[in-house]
Amino acid sequence: MLKRIKMLKQILNKFLVLSDVQAAIVIQENGEIIQSIKSGIVINDGLQAVLSILMRDSKKTAAQFGNASFSMVFLEFSDNFLILGPVMDEFYLLIIAKQTANIGQITYEMKKNQAEIMSLL
Amino acid sequence: MIDKLPDGKSIGWMQAPVQWIFTHTVRFLGIVRVVILDGEGFILIRKGLPLMYYFKHGRIELRGHGALDYFNSHKTIEFNLCKYTPEEFSRALEICEVAGIPQETVGVTENGRSVPARAEGAVKRIDELPVVQKVEQLPQVLADKSETKSEKHSDELPVIPQVEQHQQVLPKKSETKSEKHGVELPVIRHIEQHQRVLPEKSEQEGKNAIADDSPIPEADVTASHPVPQPGILNEVEIKTIGQIKKLNGIIAISFFNDDRNILLMGDVEIEPLLNIARTMLTTINTIKPHLDWGFFVHMTLQIPEGNLIIAPYHENHLCILTTRTINIGHIRRILRDLQQDSDREMMR
Repeated sequence: MLKRIKMLKQILNKFLVLSDVQAAIVIQENGEIIQSIKSGIVINDGLQAVLSILMRDSKKTAAQFGNASFSMVFLEFSDNFLILGPVMDEFYLLIIAKQTANIGQITYEMKKNQAEIMSLL
Repeated sequence: MIDKLPDGKSIGWMQAPVQWIFTHTVRFLGIVRVVILDGEGFILIRKGLPLMYYFKHGRIELRGHGALDYFNSHKTIEFNLCKYTPEEFSRALEICEVAGIPQETVGVTENGRSVPARAEGAVKRIDELPVVQKVEQLPQVLADKSETKSEKHSDELPVIPQVEQHQQVLPKKSETKSEKHGVELPVIRHIEQHQRVLPEKSEQEGKNAIADDSPIPEADVTASHPVPQPGILNEVEIKTIGQIKKLNGIIAISFFNDDRNILLMGDVEIEPLLNIARTMLTTINTIKPHLDWGFFVHMTLQIPEGNLIIAPYHENHLCILTTRTINIGHIRRILRDLQQDSDREMMR
C-alpha cells in the first residue's frame, strides 16, 4: 500500500516539475483527494467541493452528447487554469497550473501516465 | 418557385441582420435562403447586388419590397448562404424571369456567362420588380393567416414597416457622394433603390436630385445605418467570428445569450448545442465565486467526437464546436485576444 502511494506521488511529481504547474491531484468524484502533490496552492474544502461539482456536471453534460463520456475538461481563468481527465470509474486526474504553463506538455503527460495511475488505484 | 431553384453549395446557416448579407456578399454569386417562422424565402445575389427578394408564408407570397420589408422587420433572420456556379445562377435567373425579372437585366450574355451589369441599371430593374401585395396590407394578412393556423404565432409576427418610410430616405445624389469617397454604403444604396421605385418621381426629378448639392439629411443617414443594440454584434465583430469559423477544425460557432442564439455560423442544430452550452455556463457560474483565479476565459469539454468551447464575448457568450483534431492552443490564444479586445472596447 505504502509502495503504491509512493509510486503515485512519483507520477504526480512528473507534472509538478513542469513549468508553472501548481498541483497534480488524483481525486474522486465526491471530492475526496486520493493523492496530491502541490506547490504554492492550498487545496481546501471549498476547492474540493468545487472540483466535485465540476466532475459531476461535466459527466452529465458530456452525456447529453449521445451518452458520450468526456475525455478532458479544460477550465481557464485569467490567472490559472485546470485540466481534468478521467482515469477510471470515479477517479480523475486534475492538474492546476498558472496561465503561463504549457498546456500541450501537460496533456501529453496526462495521456502518457494515465495507464500507470490506473494500475495504482 | 423556391423548389425549382438550383440548390447551390451551402456555405452554412447563420443568424444575422439583413444588412449583414449585403455587406458580406460583395464577391458572392448565389442565393440566400431565408427561414422566418414557418415561411421561407430567398434573396438572389450577384456580388453584393440583390436581384430578387422573395418570401412565402403559407399561401401568401411576397416579392420585391414586400419581402425585403418583411426581412427588415426582424432584428436578425436565419439564412443559408448557397453559392451558385455561373450556370446555376443563369438557371436561377431564368426561373425568376417567370416571376417577373427580365433576363437581360441581370447581365447574362448570349453565351450564358454572367457579366457584371451596371449598378444603376440593375438597381432600376430591382425597382421594377412586381410587388404582389401592398406592404400596408401585410400585417393584417399575416395576422389572419397566423390566427387560422396557430393562435400563438400571432404575437410573434412583427409589424412590417410601411413603404412610405423608405420614400423619405436619401436623395439619389448620396450614391455619387459615397462613390466619391470610395466608401461602400450598402444599406444606403439599398434604401435608394426604394426611393427610385416611387411612381411619381420622374426621370427629370431624379437627374435634378443628382445635381442637387444639398447635404444629405442627417436624420435619414442615421436611420439607414443599423443602430447598435444590446446583444447585436457590429460588422467587425461578425467578421471576427466569421474568421474563427474559417479556422481548420471549427464546425460551428454561435454567439448566444440566456434566451436565444444571436448568430450562428456552421451547419448544426443549434438548440441542443446551446442547451449543453447553458449547462456548462451554469457549472461555471457555480464554480467561479469559489476560485480566486481572475476572470473566466473559457471552458472546453472534450468528448470523443470533438470539443465544445464556451467563452464570454461582450455581454454574452460564444459557443464553438470543433473537431477532435483542432489545435486547442490556437483557439485558446484567439479567445484571449478576443476578450482583451472586448475589454478594451468596453473601457473606452
